[in-house]
Amino acid sequence: MTAVAVVSTPRDVSAPPPDAPPRPSAPKRGRAGRARRRAGMLMLAPAVLHALIWIGIPMVAALVLSFTNYDVLTPPKFNGIENYVDALTDPVFRRGMLNTLVYAFFTVPVAMGIALLIALMLDTQLRARALFRTAVFIPQVTATIAVALVWLWIYDPRNGLLNAVLAFFGIPAQNWLSSTTWAMPAIIIVGIWQGVGLKMLIYLAALQSLPKDVYEAASVDGASKTRQFFSITLPLLKPATFFVFVTSVISAFQAFDLIYILTDGGPANTTTMMTYEIYKSAFREFRLGYACAQSIILFVFLLLLTLANRRLNGGDSGRN
Amino acid sequence: MDFSRRSFLTAMGLGTAAVVAGCSTTSPGGSSAADPDGPVEGDITFLCALFEGATGKETLEGNLIKKFNEKYPDVNVTVDYTDYGSLNEKITTGLASGLMPDVVTLGVGWIPPFAFKNAIAPLPEELATRYTYEERVLEPSRYDGTLYALPMVLDTRIVAYRKDFFEEAGITDTPKNWDELREVAKKLTVKDGDKVTRVGFDPFSIDLRQCWETFLFGNSGELFSPDGREVLFDSPEGVASLQLFLDMMADGSADFALKTEAGQPTTLQQGTSAIMMTNNSLYVQLQQQSPELIDKIGTFVLGNTDPAMLQGGTMVSQSATSKHPAAARAFVEFMGSPDAVLVSSEQRGSVPAISDLKDSDYVKGNPMVAFALDNLDKARSEGGTPAWMEIREKIKPTLETAIVGQQSAQAAIDQLAGIANDAIARL
Repeated sequence: MTAVAVVSTPRDVSAPPPDAPPRPSAPKRGRAGRARRRAGMLMLAPAVLHALIWIGIPMVAALVLSFTNYDVLTPPKFNGIENYVDALTDPVFRRGMLNTLVYAFFTVPVAMGIALLIALMLDTQLRARALFRTAVFIPQVTATIAVALVWLWIYDPRNGLLNAVLAFFGIPAQNWLSSTTWAMPAIIIVGIWQGVGLKMLIYLAALQSLPKDVYEAASVDGASKTRQFFSITLPLLKPATFFVFVTSVISAFQAFDLIYILTDGGPANTTTMMTYEIYKSAFREFRLGYACAQSIILFVFLLLLTLANRRLNGGDSGRN
Repeated sequence: MDFSRRSFLTAMGLGTAAVVAGCSTTSPGGSSAADPDGPVEGDITFLCALFEGATGKETLEGNLIKKFNEKYPDVNVTVDYTDYGSLNEKITTGLASGLMPDVVTLGVGWIPPFAFKNAIAPLPEELATRYTYEERVLEPSRYDGTLYALPMVLDTRIVAYRKDFFEEAGITDTPKNWDELREVAKKLTVKDGDKVTRVGFDPFSIDLRQCWETFLFGNSGELFSPDGREVLFDSPEGVASLQLFLDMMADGSADFALKTEAGQPTTLQQGTSAIMMTNNSLYVQLQQQSPELIDKIGTFVLGNTDPAMLQGGTMVSQSATSKHPAAARAFVEFMGSPDAVLVSSEQRGSVPAISDLKDSDYVKGNPMVAFALDNLDKARSEGGTPAWMEIREKIKPTLETAIVGQQSAQAAIDQLAGIANDAIARL
């Protein structure tokens, strides 16, 4: 584009160049144009309707209900911002917010790093790489309840695998899930393990689509493998990294089932999360209005994080 | 994709209208159009937290409902199976969608919240006298003096101990109060160096909320005032009940980390505790997992100033919005009859709610169930306030903060009382 601009002579920018392809004609205003617009709207309708019913209305409903005292048993009563004040001053929900941030802070970058490392290893001519890819991806497609039950056994303080391994090295046994010190790290480890598969898959797909000629040129210029990784691979993976980061953060903020099965938010709320508190408010305590306010706070959290990450990555999809 | 202001406002308006329409559905408390004394017929749904698994389904549908249909052939019962973990969710979503089941199983403590909001229908008082019930068994079925449910099975929290460990330690009697409990527990605790290999007392293998409540009642404490509007557990008795656990942990005779893990045999079975708080269903577990221990395990009711046994259980109730209230009422009456109660108890290893069943083969063959039935006069139940559903969820995590040393027993009880007062104020 730059070369063309240099050689071209000044011209009236409003006039089309003589050899330019004809512009697509603007939608006709007549009967044919209306028919095309109608057809377009008709084709869009299912998706719009789906989004409206399953995303739009629930979102509006959650927003409206968040300003009410709604317990399912009786009609909602408007209570202003009381639910928001309650949520932001509730020490347990605040603990849930902090725990969620800690969980996301550790699981997302660590799992992304491990996933990238594995993807790089599997993007080679490694023998039986299909088997390894499957093995890494299996936790992603295994039912969380099954995963959690296996980890319950691993973390069992008396008969668990982890303490048995530690005992072999002379390290004293720990009560992984009932200790206020170890419960959160134990949950984070499971979260990382479970999340690596999908991230690895996305990175692997991105790695396989990188242009080979750039690497060939870099090799000719004498760039080492490390230099190629940091100067070519990582920058070119930016869109994939943006996607993995956003989906991972959202997924980390929605962590629920592991907590539900492994710790029930305990001990003493040390592993409770925002989603878990929302669930408890709505389905165990019948405080749906309050749960909606908690959900809106979670939504705002995610929105801010996504916007911040989008800005850090330089706009749409992290493209330069 | 660009939206014009008009299209955006239209979408918002439609969404809001839908929400308002959804919010303005008839209150569950609204009177049902159907006649409760009408003909016993129609399709009804039964949300059931009992009869788990294929055997349970066969027992309920192949046996009990078949018998019900012999008497009421024009009633078609559809069962929605669930467990206690999901029962709340099922009820919440049912209520929100206007699809509340006609008949529901509810837990102890749940009647006041549902009755207060008119979600369940009152039952005629004569149902409380057609069979023999301990009055304390019927208490959780009432709200404001009115009967709202029939008890089916009871799950009592009792104290179980290893007779062989007692014998080894030269202890001949079970403890009668907390001082004796502490003394006995210390004697029964076994250490390997600094590591405790057997705790004298394991209070943590049952839900901490229920354990603390048992000790609260055993210390002559109360949860709430009779009208359910005043918190009473923040009394010295309530604090002392929690403090007891802390004291026993401090002297090494109890350990929060040494409790029964999910899916594992109990600490009593494993020999890692000498006395433990447990459920009457332990007997079935012993039969299945450790039959050699059956003769080595005894039970007793503990109290400090007032022996108390916590009584949980399952009750059956009728939705206030049932379109076929006569059929729903008939089914509630049937599920509360001795036939259904006995089968339900056998299926779960629970205590039948009807005292007349004391002489049944099932009760005679299960010493822990018989023990619980013999001590029903000492039974106490949780709940007692319309705000219970909210408060009950907060008890365990708040008490745990004291157990793990984050705050004192007094501070934890005060915090819990604050939460409970807020919940009651919202009623």
